[in-house]
Amino acid sequence: MSTLTAQSQAAAGPTPGRGRARQPRSRLARRRRRAGILLTLPAAAVVVALLGIPVGQAVYYSMTNWNGLTATWIGPGAYATALSDPTFWRVIENNALLLLSIPFAIGIPLGIAWLLHEHVRGWRFFRSVYFLPTAVSWVVIGMVAVQFFAQQGLMNKLLADVGLGSLQTNMLAGQRSALVALAITFIWSMLGTNTIIFLTGMATLDPTLIEAARVDGLNRRQIFWRVTFPLLRRFVQFSFVITVISAFSALFSLIFVMTSGGPGFGTTTLEFFVYQSAFALGQFGTGALYGIILFVIMIIVGLVQLRLIRSEDGEGW
Amino acid sequence: MTSHTAVVARRRVRTGTLFAIMCVIAVVMLYPFFYMLDNAFRNQAQFARQSGHSAVSWRLLFTQLPVWRELLNSTLICAISILLILAVSTTAGFAFAKLRYRGSGLVFLAVVAALMVPLQSIIIPEYVNLGKLGLINTYLGAILVYVALGTPFATFLMATYYRGISDDLIEAAVMDGLGYGRTFLRIALPLSWPALATVTVLQFIQIWDDLLVGLLFLQNPQQRTITVGLAALSSGRTTSIPVLMAGSFVSALPAITVYLIFQRHLVKGLTMGMGK
Repeated sequence: MSTLTAQSQAAAGPTPGRGRARQPRSRLARRRRRAGILLTLPAAAVVVALLGIPVGQAVYYSMTNWNGLTATWIGPGAYATALSDPTFWRVIENNALLLLSIPFAIGIPLGIAWLLHEHVRGWRFFRSVYFLPTAVSWVVIGMVAVQFFAQQGLMNKLLADVGLGSLQTNMLAGQRSALVALAITFIWSMLGTNTIIFLTGMATLDPTLIEAARVDGLNRRQIFWRVTFPLLRRFVQFSFVITVISAFSALFSLIFVMTSGGPGFGTTTLEFFVYQSAFALGQFGTGALYGIILFVIMIIVGLVQLRLIRSEDGEGW
Repeated sequence: MTSHTAVVARRRVRTGTLFAIMCVIAVVMLYPFFYMLDNAFRNQAQFARQSGHSAVSWRLLFTQLPVWRELLNSTLICAISILLILAVSTTAGFAFAKLRYRGSGLVFLAVVAALMVPLQSIIIPEYVNLGKLGLINTYLGAILVYVALGTPFATFLMATYYRGISDDLIEAAVMDGLGYGRTFLRIALPLSWPALATVTVLQFIQIWDDLLVGLLFLQNPQQRTITVGLAALSSGRTTSIPVLMAGSFVSALPAITVYLIFQRHLVKGLTMGMGK
């Protein structure tokens, strides 16, 4: 077996791909190169035509007055105009406020994963149940959430049952309270995905480390904070990025179904504002501009993540 | 002896408490589904007073609304999109992993970097472009957008998977005269079925559950997917809530079924994003 591997390694060279690509001499190497290019072509074409070019167009059209048919050039000044619009800042404020839900959207699943990892009887069943929101459309989730937060809904009934009837409100009718309702629904929707991430992380932990900590006399809470949590840092970072990206760019269906961005601009986030500007108001140029701002925010989040991963592993891909 | 029973007792209390907490969380997670079903089996009046059950809303849903048509649309669009995503991502993933050429690393980086493009940032030009090609309100228009959105991550996943297959195996097949195309089809592709399953499940759930793309590219009720049909119903405001709940349940069922069957693959896909 070992001689076989050694032989074929000698034949292929230590880095077969690179070595051959630099000197496409033999017929086989040429064919290999052609096959490589040919096979990557469809994916590259799809990405360039349907993602790359539209990004370029969005940048161009963001600096125009565009109704979808005719565009008149405004120039970079379009950004100054948009940034001085108080509605834009109202929308950004909503995005910023939604970020406050992220500690909950990460902390609760972390706790749940920790519970599941104790492998109490029936934990497999519980795991399947907790992961469930991952499979369900946010349209459906939003539909039930509307009923939950309604004046006659379960939330107000529960409040009355525990003697807090005075707190009963129609949450979706107030600007701030509607945003809170949206945030709560968002946290619920992220539970499955983030629990999966943390449970996977905990499965990678070395049980002997936990055992050693226990022998050293640490209690469960200390073990969690001093041993488990630091080892899970990479997973926490990953879930943080996923959650931030979702909060900025995956809430469309939830907002569409629950509030349509209202009342007023109470629950309009940047991604919803893109849709509203273009497809409700016909301002395609302004919509494209908000889309570019959203993209820049996502790039910043992505770069922060890459940096975090690099600083830990020595290198990222 | 007493200390031993005390330890056992304390452990019992602990597992009992954990179990109770997990049950409470399970109720929170399952309640929406219970609510959907409970209220789907009511008529308007029963819903208003929250008592009594009947199947009338289900009959309304299936007779008055194009639910079957929408389910068929969803199925068609999902199936074709997933097939295209698999075709594009397996070939590219294989080449990026095993047939590297000068510059292939850069192409790979460009494809994967497209993961960071939020749909909302490109949706307006996309809409106008596909409109110019006459693809709005056609299956093909929506399918193209879903394929574009699914390709970057699927390619990343497939490349990661193919990197785990030994170079020797591929070289040997080529030396045997299979050629690169047939080596891919006969050797690499069959070996990668777990990754294919992961991509399929992830994309199925993503596309089945999508609203924005369907809302813009399939405005004609004839082509609407079930999720878009449901959202359109809800914004109608005149629809009865029991019918909406029945519709919600119907639309959620296929994705939940797929999830329950292929849970393992979904979990793998979600965590593979970490790059390891």
